[in-house]
Amino acid sequence: MSIAKRVQQWATFARTWHIYDCTWQNPFESAKLVKSHLMGLQKPIYHPMNDCGDHVVLINTREIALPGDEWVKRVYFHHTGYPGGASWTLAWQLHEKDPTMVMKKAVYNSMRGNLQRRHTMQRLHLFADDQVPEEILQNVTNQIRTPRSIPQRLDHIDKETLENFPNIMDYPKDYILR
Amino acid sequence: MSSVLQLATRTVRSTIVQVRGVATTMPRQIKEIQEKQENNVKIIEGVNVESPRANLMLKSACQTKFCPECTLGLDIKHTDVLILSQYVRSDGCMLPRRITGLCHRQQKKMGTLVTMAQKAGLMPNLAPEWSKRDPKKRFGWRKFNKYFLESTIKY
Repeated sequence: MSIAKRVQQWATFARTWHIYDCTWQNPFESAKLVKSHLMGLQKPIYHPMNDCGDHVVLINTREIALPGDEWVKRVYFHHTGYPGGASWTLAWQLHEKDPTMVMKKAVYNSMRGNLQRRHTMQRLHLFADDQVPEEILQNVTNQIRTPRSIPQRLDHIDKETLENFPNIMDYPKDYILR
Repeated sequence: MSSVLQLATRTVRSTIVQVRGVATTMPRQIKEIQEKQENNVKIIEGVNVESPRANLMLKSACQTKFCPECTLGLDIKHTDVLILSQYVRSDGCMLPRRITGLCHRQQKKMGTLVTMAQKAGLMPNLAPEWSKRDPKKRFGWRKFNKYFLESTIKY
């Protein structure tokens, strides 16, 4: 086997580690991306019986964003099994208790319920902030591109850009500045 | 020319008691309300100031009627805070149509976009004085990040 072929062999069958920054990302849009990397769907050698999934490290899950008022419209259901044991938790209440849970459930629910799902979830590593242990971070070789760009806050824009930005509205002549 | 005019007015002023001001250009009447505290006396006065935007105006925006979407075909999102903040007072209030000069539909749309940006916490420095400013300190579910879809605007 030539050297090039050997490298290709390693690249094909080794487990790659990806990192994904969840800041201002919709968890349900990101879950589709993360799921395909977790299961190895993007690989040409993919087969349901082929164990070719990668590891994905999700950071900043506390900073996820939901559209509109979905924080109060999305409900997570749980039943203890006893009569009257049903409970409904709003997404923001769940996120307050455990900032990784909304993201974790989004990825879990994006996959089909089969015997592989629990094992695939073992390859997902979630962190509420950007404090990732060193032994995990040194495995990472790829960053997954995020679908949504992070919006810039007006008070975080530097003074020079603010002052030189072209204006499209001037005050009328009798205006009182406020 | 102006120096000659000034000289002429000065001579006129010295001779006649009541003098009207002579100016070659239209004076800007934009005012700023300033408060001063002097020995138990609070002075509130309106001072004529130069418009802070006069030098940075876009050329096509100097028309009487200008809408960013109708005239330039700009697709403005609620994250474009540099544009949206121009239509807003320092307390976060949307300016009326008399001042913004937008068409009816754009005024409604711009108002919605400003509301979206404020709810998403992108313009926390343009807010009433009692505001906590930091979007992370908001109550309940409002403290978490949220974004809006422009397709939900009705106009």
